[in-house]
Amino acid sequence: MPIKKKGTGLTAVADAWQLADIDVSASYPIRPYTAVMAELAKRIANGTMQCEMVHGEGEHAQFSIAHGASMAGARATTGSSGVGVTYAFETYSPIAGSRCPIQALVGDRTLDPPGDFGSEHTDCLTLRDNGWIFGWAQDAQESLDNSLMYFRIGEDPDIMLPQIVAMDGYFVTHIAQDYIMPDQDQVDKFLPKFNPKFRLDVKNPVIMGPQIEPEMGPPLEWDRHVVMTKVKEKIVEVTEEFGKVFGRKYAPFVEEYLTEDADMVFVLQGAHAVTCRSAIKYLREAGFKIGLCRLRWFRPFPDTALAQILTKFKVAGVIDTGTSYGAPCSGGVLSTEVKAAMSEVAGKPIIQSFTSGLGGETITHEEFFAMAEMMKQTLQAGKIIQGGTWVNFNDYHEGASQINAAKHEAAPSK
Amino acid sequence: MAKVYKQVPFAAIVPSPQTENEGMITGNWRFLRPVVDKEQCTECKTCYIYCPDACVNFAKADGVSFNLKYCKGCGICSNVCPVGAISRVPELDFDE
Ligand code: SF4
Ligand code: SF4
Repeated sequence: MPIKKKGTGLTAVADAWQLADIDVSASYPIRPYTAVMAELAKRIANGTMQCEMVHGEGEHAQFSIAHGASMAGARATTGSSGVGVTYAFETYSPIAGSRCPIQALVGDRTLDPPGDFGSEHTDCLTLRDNGWIFGWAQDAQESLDNSLMYFRIGEDPDIMLPQIVAMDGYFVTHIAQDYIMPDQDQVDKFLPKFNPKFRLDVKNPVIMGPQIEPEMGPPLEWDRHVVMTKVKEKIVEVTEEFGKVFGRKYAPFVEEYLTEDADMVFVLQGAHAVTCRSAIKYLREAGFKIGLCRLRWFRPFPDTALAQILTKFKVAGVIDTGTSYGAPCSGGVLSTEVKAAMSEVAGKPIIQSFTSGLGGETITHEEFFAMAEMMKQTLQAGKIIQGGTWVNFNDYHEGASQINAAKHEAAPSK
Repeated sequence: MAKVYKQVPFAAIVPSPQTENEGMITGNWRFLRPVVDKEQCTECKTCYIYCPDACVNFAKADGVSFNLKYCKGCGICSNVCPVGAISRVPELDFDE
């Protein structure tokens, strides 16, 4: 019987990993990821979970351990946060290139300016070009469910790619909430044992990751590109089957909220969607015809799904909770990607970039209202009045500029 | 005309053990070739241990030889040779 539990996003993923009967988990502490390794260690020590837990001497080693374990045929997991994610950078392309479907959990955290441990999507987004499949969960339940779906997709013999279960640090990783833990039988039915075609095996030895000639590189990259395009079909298939087995139905790519009659829409991913939905209720009362499109996947990027959905609206405000300094239109990675995906779509909306919720700040109702106000001005003018807005920094609404002026005055002079 | 690329197995995974794979010859990256002076060589096998590409061969009766199909010319063997028996000669000095 599925049971109702109170826990965090990290205990939810630990539950998913236990139910998935992982063989190896490689760890190295960094908050907010750390709590998942602590949870696994506790379960292993208590004898309630069987798993080989290996500690790396850093994130690079940690991801390499998971890589090796996966090559040996293990269902392997690992994870990190913030600068830990970037410290392991060298390992991402080799893991995807050797088609090892390890699963990593990333509890988002800022990349350091000195020690801001708050949540931002920048850490995960820096590795978007390496052949990993990933997307953001908005709560503990979705973290658990995504983890099971990602194993199923990544380990599919036609796919064989690593995955990242991404979640906003603290907002999802650490806030206790109710979630349903599925039954072992359900999971066994949904997720077969990992049984790769190739593995390191003394009885049938193979060489993995050999040095190759330059002419062999492009075909391998082409393979990785092609398989990424196939992932989308697999996502649709697996999401549907997940709904049948577990009774929780997700939109495969984009979750819509109050969009039926909307002419404006927020586009974002992750936990801020929860606040966004409640802000939309107030905005609706104030006469704004506004809704929300929440992306469930970032890689592969759901361009076809977005093209179909976003053409229904006149203005789309893409909210980035991460940075890409010097990116086009002062936007972040998400807004750049949405704009690229929509570039050749007929009847596309006006796409406006917002950056908000950096450093682990919550995006407040007032900030959503301010963004909606700006989108309304865009709608009325039929064009963007101010592009690439950093909420509270570009002084488009009086309140924000006053706050900022006060902050600057209070700052110590050099 | 489109280039014809070499066929690559899934994730470049190849059967093992094998000392050579004709599909993956990488010795053409080399511009300095290791050459051993057999008079000096004591057959201590240090170069064999250190070569990162497993190119040092002792199988043949006449002592040290290098598998030039894969030797990248990195020079590690000549650096570690305790008697300085390995020199590095520019590739262009050889006819083939
Ligand atoms: S290290 Fe030098 S001396 Fe030893 S086997 Fe190699 S070439 Fe000969
Ligand atoms: S030069 Fe480098 S690759 Fe060639 S035999 Fe010596 S150690 Fe091996």
